Amino acid sequence: MSQSLIGLGIPRIDGTEKVTGEAVYVHDLKIQGMLYAKLKTCPYAHAKIKNIDVSKAQALPGVKAVLTGQDVPFKLGLYMIDRPMLATGKVRYFGEPVAAVAALDEDIAQEAVNLIEVEYELLPAVLDVEEALKEGATLVHEDLGTYSWIKNVYFPKPGTNVANHFKVRKGDVEAGFARADVIVENRFFQPQVLHVPLETHVAIAKWSTGDKIKVWTSAQSPFAVRNLLSAAVGVPGSQIEVIVPYVGGGFGGKAGIHLEGLVACLSRAAKGRPVKLTATREEEIATLPCRQGLVAKVKTGAARDGRIVAEQIEFLWDAGAYADYGVNIGRAAGYSGVGPYEIDNVKIDSYTIYTNHIFGTAYRGFGHAEFFWAIERQRELLAKELGMDPLEFRMKNVLKPGSVTITGEQVSEHTGRVDKCLAVVAEKIGWPLVKSEEEKAREAKTGRYRGKGLAVLHKAPAMPTNTASSAIVKMNEDGSVHVLVGGVDFGQGTYTTLAQIAAENLHLPLEKVHIVFETNTDTGPYDWQTVASRFSVMGGMTVKRACEDLLAQMRRLAAAVLRAAEDELKFGEEVIYVHQYPEKRLSYSQLALGYTYENGNAVGGPLIGRGIYIAQNLSFLDAETGQGRPALDWTYGAHGVEIEVDTGTGDIEVLKIVSAFDVGKVLNEKLITGQVIGGVVQALGTAFSEVMIYNGEGQLLTKSLVDYKIPTVKDLPVEMEVHFVETPQLDGPYGARGVAEHPMISVTSVIANALANATGLEMLEVPLSPEKVYLAMQRSRVFKNYGESVDKVLNLGEHGVTRA
Amino acid sequence: MAAVEYFRPADLNEAIELMARHGQKAEVLAGGTDVIVNLRDGALRCKYLVDIKQLPEMQELHYSPARGLVVGGAVTVNQLIEAGPVIDHYPLLAQAGKTLANTLVRNRATLLGNLCNASPGADMAPPALVLGASVVAVSQAGQRKIPLEEFFVGVKRTALQRDELAVSVEIPAVSGRGVYLKKSRIKGHDLSQVGAAGFLSRDGCLRLALGAVAPKPLLVQDLGTVRPEDLRLEEKSTAITDKVLALINPISDQRASREYRLAMARYLVRQVLGILGGEVGNHEESC
Amino acid sequence: MKKAVNFKVNGEDVSVAVEPGKTLLWLLREELNLTGTKEGCGAGECGACTVILNGKPVNSCLVLAVEAEGAEVFTIESEAKEGKLSDLQQAFIEYNALQCGFCTPGMIMSARALLNRNPQPSEEEIKEAIEGNLCRCTGYVPVVEAIRAAATKEARK
Repeated sequence: MSQSLIGLGIPRIDGTEKVTGEAVYVHDLKIQGMLYAKLKTCPYAHAKIKNIDVSKAQALPGVKAVLTGQDVPFKLGLYMIDRPMLATGKVRYFGEPVAAVAALDEDIAQEAVNLIEVEYELLPAVLDVEEALKEGATLVHEDLGTYSWIKNVYFPKPGTNVANHFKVRKGDVEAGFARADVIVENRFFQPQVLHVPLETHVAIAKWSTGDKIKVWTSAQSPFAVRNLLSAAVGVPGSQIEVIVPYVGGGFGGKAGIHLEGLVACLSRAAKGRPVKLTATREEEIATLPCRQGLVAKVKTGAARDGRIVAEQIEFLWDAGAYADYGVNIGRAAGYSGVGPYEIDNVKIDSYTIYTNHIFGTAYRGFGHAEFFWAIERQRELLAKELGMDPLEFRMKNVLKPGSVTITGEQVSEHTGRVDKCLAVVAEKIGWPLVKSEEEKAREAKTGRYRGKGLAVLHKAPAMPTNTASSAIVKMNEDGSVHVLVGGVDFGQGTYTTLAQIAAENLHLPLEKVHIVFETNTDTGPYDWQTVASRFSVMGGMTVKRACEDLLAQMRRLAAAVLRAAEDELKFGEEVIYVHQYPEKRLSYSQLALGYTYENGNAVGGPLIGRGIYIAQNLSFLDAETGQGRPALDWTYGAHGVEIEVDTGTGDIEVLKIVSAFDVGKVLNEKLITGQVIGGVVQALGTAFSEVMIYNGEGQLLTKSLVDYKIPTVKDLPVEMEVHFVETPQLDGPYGARGVAEHPMISVTSVIANALANATGLEMLEVPLSPEKVYLAMQRSRVFKNYGESVDKVLNLGEHGVTRA
Repeated sequence: MAAVEYFRPADLNEAIELMARHGQKAEVLAGGTDVIVNLRDGALRCKYLVDIKQLPEMQELHYSPARGLVVGGAVTVNQLIEAGPVIDHYPLLAQAGKTLANTLVRNRATLLGNLCNASPGADMAPPALVLGASVVAVSQAGQRKIPLEEFFVGVKRTALQRDELAVSVEIPAVSGRGVYLKKSRIKGHDLSQVGAAGFLSRDGCLRLALGAVAPKPLLVQDLGTVRPEDLRLEEKSTAITDKVLALINPISDQRASREYRLAMARYLVRQVLGILGGEVGNHEESC
Repeated sequence: MKKAVNFKVNGEDVSVAVEPGKTLLWLLREELNLTGTKEGCGAGECGACTVILNGKPVNSCLVLAVEAEGAEVFTIESEAKEGKLSDLQQAFIEYNALQCGFCTPGMIMSARALLNRNPQPSEEEIKEAIEGNLCRCTGYVPVVEAIRAAATKEARK
């Protein structure tokens, strides 16, 4: 093989089965004897369950199991064990399941659900994070003090709606503000949004005699499902087999545990018959979790020369009814919270708050897409206050080699270069925007104004300090290999990258490397979770090490057979040979299952390479100050955008968006570009049209795709450009870092920055829908107050609509 | 979906008889893009579906200068917008049809079905209103022709009796210029937040119609005799727009606030008038 | 009360008894085991269920199975011929026009219907054809590129 595979745009290895429709997703799976499940969900945001009568449902022919909360007294949770499998005692969010039925077919199951009678007593609903924090606020979890949670990492406040309070304390903010020449203080808001994977959540479970549980699920983290299910139902993890075939999109929404526990319990209640539960799109929207909302209060002080001297941040995360990933999101946002900037005096309080909204879970960006809305807007507003060009202002303050982060981590030559990313996008977007007099006149006449904007971003994987991964590479008779990993490829293309790495290391053609697509916790090696933009990095390293292990075994065996020293042997294309005498060689197939001499003697045995990886050098964060080393790696990035806004309607057209990321090393240029384009378009959805809208009682109004609008092919920017900076990550495979989530971050802010550049209109809230932009423009003529949130000012008339 | 029974009448009489017999419990099935969604949601509960697509009367798509355009109940929106006579003589219909949902839906959805579903924001309603359309309906009592402005009686309610079967849309021969503008949340397929259609006939009759701003699609007539050049005058255009705005009463819902609907109604009407007046626009169509 | 339905799927005659309330999508996936066609929403909003019905691409979740009487239906399973991927399918792979793959069958069916009708579509016409096919992974750009490339390749043949 002459050319290295690393970096090449190799087409994905799972293309054929997907373009033919042959790839089997859990949606498509049928297990013999399978029953079909349906959920009964509640239509109220907060209510006591006074009574549930399932008698008519149980009596319906064809119904094999009916469960209510009392039948499954199990709680689920990753960090806070707070979510009942079925609502018990009370319901905490619109769409929460209160009962479940398993029957011979979906029609019978649905009919049974319709026959279940539930009596509710409405409770006041807490639908606003600031209201939720007030003294005497209605409590979502009155018994918070009795729950279990991971002590010393999360700090809930029983008797309140605070699920977690994460702190960063660096330097002395009060002294910093006292010294500042300019102080800017703003309140930003980001509503809840949805993942919208094309394949909804679905799980099949079979609970057999002896408490052996088998689960097929559309999920990102099979080992986490096993672990969390075990914790919930009290069955040892080693008796639980979790299988993940092809997955139709995840985006973080399938990262933890969702339907699996309930389905397993239905199977047990149905005498061990397998049960399948497929979420409808409406359930995907209202019952399955979303992305939390955020109120961010940011106060920043700067010196006249543009250096930021102090920043005080309060993040109020609307986590909804259950904490799920929410407490960790609050934490991850906390330790990352000022963005890729060097600030000596920082105070961050990141609160994860319970409300009666639909609960939030992990979503691509893990809090960062949310808080960078606030931070990159704040940077812009501060630059304006200083009268500085936003590019110059950012360059003055961004992290560079030698800088220290807010958790005390030192940025080195190998951490990555946010300044280079920013420089690239600024150049490619043609910063700054200069308009001729004719153009200005034309804009005034047509009401369509152009503007440019910049924004930066960063994220590290939010993961435990001991996050681990492993891989197995088995050689087949013909010298080809099968690679087993515990992570999941749900479209991002990581398996293809792993195949490239294996082929490269083993000197095999790509066709002879087979990544076992189905992930099975019984037969596959452990991997933490496929989240956090760490699978290419950690999975890549484990595959590399497993290959090295395999090569070492081949060396040992070949050295004996070829009667040469191990370090005299070289690998070629599917052969191992003596360097000085290349005619003395063995093919891989001669060694794959051991070597057989001419006289029949056999030595060695089947070749199986093993690779392991554990995050190195990460530390816990101080409970009071947040100081420590949380980050496996930091991927920095930037966006530059040019827009045109039609002031007649509020419509914004993205003329060009340029995105740059320091990924250390591009492992596959086709797939990485795909991640960026896909992520940016997904982010544009949250920038322009995606928002969960509730009525005054906390009932979701945007209940289907009719009203929850994600981008279609007609909603694209005119031009999209992607660039990569390569500052090698020394402990990443070939120097690579992850970039899966990063394209989603700072897109909302860069658009708003460009909008301000175009019209002077400063938006503090997303989405920048035509309606919001238009009405804000009308208001801004009357209210020139940066601190006012548009919605509070908006008179919506008798059909009042509140936004989440 | 709850159990339903399905009928596929071989001729119109059989269809009429089915409607007479089952009345309340029967629903006509044309494209199904509303009916099937509503059945799935539980918003529609019926026991019988009467599939009318194969009836010759429903498949008619015919133009003559004398009768105008006849669009049978089974003619899909895509068939409509691709038909020569429609492109030649009713470009407004073709232009409006293209804004309805997306091509997959348009391969099933029908013009008549869109009108019978009677959503306040139905995309085909404003254009059909300004073109002076009527709905032809039959029952055992006979046939009647309902002018479209009398056809819509409330939110998702039409003047059709329970045993009546809508058969076609008839549009008289017209000569003039028309346009339909739609404001949505995104550029891709979406419902309208506000829709506005206008038609200025060669003899100066101006008709405007708006969708999603009242319980029913709203036709505004009695705007006097107007020449295109009149519409290019700020004063005249504003006067007409003000008149229209006084007639609408939009609600706030998850799709748009009342305030935005009022603003966009004003904006779209102003644009419609400008296009009808001959200003350069994106959607002008004339015949 | 089940009703008999006779129609053609991917060139083969099919005869099934089905309840009138069941959709064509359900029939294809559950009765005929043609699971290539996917359910993304069941309400005509996402296009994952796109099939070609009597030559037109439609949401099969909005067609009752009984309505397919006498019809000709093509699903994703008809695109590859004798185990050989079509130019369209190959272009999807080459241009990375798919990631999770769940929207892909529907996307390819819409593209196939387009190319059958209009072998040299403009970019605008391609976008019009797939406007009703939602994708959350790719951002659509490579999908448009793949369809354009496939059109060029097929036209040459």
